[in-house]
Amino acid sequence: MGRSSMQDLLIRIDLSNRKASPWRVPEELKAYLGGMGYGTKILLDEVPPQAHPLCPENKLILTVGPLTGTTAPMNPQSCIVTKSPLTETILNSYAGGFLGAEIRFAGLDGLILEGAAPQWSLLLIEDGQVHFHSAEAVLGKSTAETERYLKERFGADVRTLSIGKAGEKGVAMASVFSETRTFGRGGAGAVLGSKRVKAIAVRGTRGVEVARPEEFNAAVRENMEQLKAACAEEYNLVGMFSRVGTGAGMGLVNGRGALATRNHISGSFDESPGIDGYAYADKFYTRAIACYGCPVHCGMLHKFTRTDGSSSWLRGPEYETMYSLGSDLLNGDPVVLAEANQICEEYGMDTLTTGVSVAWALEMGEEGKLKEPGLELEFGSPAAILGLLRKIGEREGIGDLLARGPKQAAAASGCDLGRFMQIKNSGFAAWMPRRMKGTGLAFATSNRGACHKRAPIGAEITGQIDMDAYEGKAALVKEIQDRVNAIFTLVSCRFHEFVTPPDMYPRLVTAATGREISLHEFLAVGERIWNLERLFNIAVGFGRADDQLPERCYEPIQGEASEGAVMERRKYDDMLEEYYRLRGWDEQGIPTEGKLQELGIPEYARLGTR
Amino acid sequence: MPLGFDIDENLCTECLRCLAACSLTKLGRVQLPLARIAVKRQWPELPEIQVCRFDDCKDQPCIDACPVEAISRDEKGLVLIDRDACTGCRACVEACPYGAIWMEENGSDFAYKCDFCGGEPACVQECVTGALVQKGGS
Repeated sequence: MGRSSMQDLLIRIDLSNRKASPWRVPEELKAYLGGMGYGTKILLDEVPPQAHPLCPENKLILTVGPLTGTTAPMNPQSCIVTKSPLTETILNSYAGGFLGAEIRFAGLDGLILEGAAPQWSLLLIEDGQVHFHSAEAVLGKSTAETERYLKERFGADVRTLSIGKAGEKGVAMASVFSETRTFGRGGAGAVLGSKRVKAIAVRGTRGVEVARPEEFNAAVRENMEQLKAACAEEYNLVGMFSRVGTGAGMGLVNGRGALATRNHISGSFDESPGIDGYAYADKFYTRAIACYGCPVHCGMLHKFTRTDGSSSWLRGPEYETMYSLGSDLLNGDPVVLAEANQICEEYGMDTLTTGVSVAWALEMGEEGKLKEPGLELEFGSPAAILGLLRKIGEREGIGDLLARGPKQAAAASGCDLGRFMQIKNSGFAAWMPRRMKGTGLAFATSNRGACHKRAPIGAEITGQIDMDAYEGKAALVKEIQDRVNAIFTLVSCRFHEFVTPPDMYPRLVTAATGREISLHEFLAVGERIWNLERLFNIAVGFGRADDQLPERCYEPIQGEASEGAVMERRKYDDMLEEYYRLRGWDEQGIPTEGKLQELGIPEYARLGTR
Repeated sequence: MPLGFDIDENLCTECLRCLAACSLTKLGRVQLPLARIAVKRQWPELPEIQVCRFDDCKDQPCIDACPVEAISRDEKGLVLIDRDACTGCRACVEACPYGAIWMEENGSDFAYKCDFCGGEPACVQECVTGALVQKGGS
């Protein structure tokens, strides 16, 4: 074996027995490249689809990829794969920052957490050695307090992940925090909590080499020039992110009538200029913060004065949060929005599903169908918004209802699920299917539910293609889902691909690992993973009936710019059927044996048989 | 022109490309703890960029601190450590006001620091925001 950025080594951490053992990557896994590919294949091979997500039988796999820790720009992320307690589907969730690089510097391609610890634990991973410590001192502490404790105890140079109270208490949308970057979606924080792992600290001191340095360095230089050029352009989205963060595009979205407002009743929000990226940059001290090796630095650190007069800071809010804790709640106050974001950080909760749950509760409250003592449930009310968020984190009163996830909350309260903006129980990201038909199909067919990371958002919102059209969207969605899955094996940032030409990926991967891969083969890995995820979900019990949008999407949007825009049910069904055909699935959305044969995974066909 | 860096920590995004480039240039691999530059995170306050200031360092105390005269300033302004002469006593590490001299901790115990890559620092090429800009050199 020659040099490679990949270490071909993961650590299995048996929490039940407090034992860690190195696990050499088997040859057949290497074809999955790393990151999401490794996580997905391992979960399919080792976790029964019927396993309860919060039982020891479930596993949590944290991986990095062939570009992690190298000089290739915009590959800072690490990937968690597990069975989601929110959706009960297979979940992949990502965080940027520095944790991924540190895992690589520790000489690893990832960790596999198995079983459940007998007591609340902290894990310290130093250059591949695992140490178990008690988490007693940080139980009930916020993610930031926990991070501070880890750095004081284990050294300022460790990189960390942690859960807050929400993860400890099994809130279905609990997330995992890593130094203000977040594994947001799908409730991975609750899985970590069920394993009684409060936090992990990693320190890596080893070097990272690549197989073909000259080739690799030349590709990196070229990619850096592409990214720098994009950042210098006034109207390039990545350039705008680089200047004011991901909230740069809110004005554009609002102008197109696609800014989900008031629990998706309306597509425009008059107060959006007060909460977008430019507003934050204008009103508050702002400093750009990058993830490892990233020239775009879209993370914005803001200092602000809280409503109680105290001084505080937040890295964010991100665009998606400006919607979920802003426009969707009729909250046009940037300070209340920042505080709402902070509460989600403190407790460790996904701002998306949590915000969407608050939006639904506010609508139900205004109609008198939901009540909470001491809180007037009204859109735009700071007390209601901040109060509900804390109650979800604490699992108190109505918060306990919402903490169980949309379907259970609706069933237990007898309120309308059709107005809960969720798919497969995962709250909507910031986009409106009625206005963006391809994005709607992408949300509905997502293996993790309502996922914006594999949707034709850029093309639809910028008008590159007709956002309201149905034609051609099925093919577009399939292509994006497969391509993004492929880049999530690396693990590249989603925004990297906005600028980087597709053939850059196989070039970088080949030079980093010494294993030749063509663009065609690279994209095929993405499609193979998509089908494996789908098979897992089918075996859980998911199918065509779950690839549907909530009722509200079939009712017209209100408000300027997109008044009357609607998803037509028959046309949606046609789009879905075309999508299944293009995927090589049957009309129930089950991958055919022929397709699995073609993808080289016929042995998984058993998962698709009912 | 005096030799050194124009450093503006307000512009530093803490991406660490400078460390990665430094270790790649010096060692042929990315290994951040062995870079000749460090970025000390102090969130939410500004980071501290730790690297030799060369001509901007008043008195250059590392030179006088070295008991065996292993550190010297050459005619271009480069302050360099002679590895063969270094005894690993750490006096320079203590003396440096910028925390920009480190010890190799692999048994050999030599002190190491930035050598300005001889005139064109690799770290500067990687800094996209201008937090780290070259002064002098070639």
